[in-house]
Amino acid sequence: MKVRDFVRRDLSAVERDTPVIQVIKLLDNSGLSSLPVVDEEGKVVGVISERDLIRALIPAYVDMLHSASFLPSLDRLAKKLREIGNHPVERYMTKEVVVAHLDDTDLHVADLMLRKGLKQLPVVDEKGHLIGLVRRIDLLSRL
Amino acid sequence: MILTVTPNPALDKFYWVAELPKTLGPVEEGIVVRAEKSLTSAGGKGLNVSMFLAAHGVETVAMGFLAGHTGQIILRDLLSRGVSANFVWIEGENRTNVALILRGQEYHPIHIHEEGPSIPKEAVGIFLRKYEAMLRKANFVVLAGILAPGLSPDFYRELARRAREKGVKVVVHAGGEALLHTFRERPFLVKPDVREAPRLGDLSVRTKEEIIAAGKQAIQEGVELCLISHHLTGDILISADGVWEFETSVPLSTFRNLVGADDALVGGILLGLTRGMDLIESVRYGMAAAVASAEVEEKLCLDQGKIAKEMEHVEVRYLGAK
Repeated sequence: MKVRDFVRRDLSAVERDTPVIQVIKLLDNSGLSSLPVVDEEGKVVGVISERDLIRALIPAYVDMLHSASFLPSLDRLAKKLREIGNHPVERYMTKEVVVAHLDDTDLHVADLMLRKGLKQLPVVDEKGHLIGLVRRIDLLSRL
Repeated sequence: MILTVTPNPALDKFYWVAELPKTLGPVEEGIVVRAEKSLTSAGGKGLNVSMFLAAHGVETVAMGFLAGHTGQIILRDLLSRGVSANFVWIEGENRTNVALILRGQEYHPIHIHEEGPSIPKEAVGIFLRKYEAMLRKANFVVLAGILAPGLSPDFYRELARRAREKGVKVVVHAGGEALLHTFRERPFLVKPDVREAPRLGDLSVRTKEEIIAAGKQAIQEGVELCLISHHLTGDILISADGVWEFETSVPLSTFRNLVGADDALVGGILLGLTRGMDLIESVRYGMAAAVASAEVEEKLCLDQGKIAKEMEHVEVRYLGAK
């Protein structure tokens, strides 16, 4: 089976200069865990995930230690969010984007997701324009 | 690609009932109306147009504002029908529109429409940027349905202006002020929604003569083509070149669900134009799609064979330049 057979043609995305606080709202309202970041032409230039945003908020040592128990309190995160809330999302997005194409096989996409530990992949056309996404559940539900 | 904008999407719920209580009865007793059948579908004029087009293999992207659990159900339904979706997510809950259809009187449904969530200014800004980007890929844009609370009556005019500047043809499938304000942006086609109030601006559109006069007025104000429903099985097309009347001889008793029929009409016209039919044939095809949709319980008839058969019954009369 190819990606074109199960792509979710949802073009939900944000632009590079979208403020961080707006991205959090969009993720919350849409129920998505990440959003592609696109340029003016709709080309995918990054992905912003909940994880990227948490990383932006917590001190680097907490991320390294993989434990939030080293955080004194969540107040520090709230303060940090106030500081970076109006920053453009491109500062915090993942720039090395793993993408899928319509003619990729389901096996190829499953392999990519497993190896990279990704919950969803943007699907792009030959010019890099966003045309949808593939989620892990889209693969699982077709097994 | 055909872009559709539905600022106030809905979840359509249809209930078919064998009978309705004639009186409310004693106050202490509740009323239970049991449905023989029910259907649920993504709804709103633009979404219906997109669903019709996608089912016929036309690339289409639906835009608008989604919210809450209802928004998730609407999105899921759209995607499952092959429509590409590019929505702005907002807080709140999209509306649910209920149609209660009494067996034997399907041509006269009872509608309960919710208002829909209010659109914050910030969301309008995000929408406009997405819209600009999508216009680059569009041949037509369909501005459809009632505006959501919080949107300016000039919302469609602004969208029409941006589309015109990019050379994208605009179809306005709406009513009231929002429709009238678009006229000066010279839309390609307007299909006024006159279900609740048979008026176009200050002009009544009840009789054939009134419809032609109102259509002519719209043409003078900048509209290229104006299509107004005369009655359930008749439409009148007015352009600078003349007036055409489209009529089909179908008894009302064949109708099963009228919701979405006028959206199938717009979808059918666009499908015809996309496939290279001339304007009059495209409107005939649209009218056949509308009648075929009214004759099935599902909101839209997606059976091309049935639409082609209905097309045989659609008659066109040229009423002259008038």
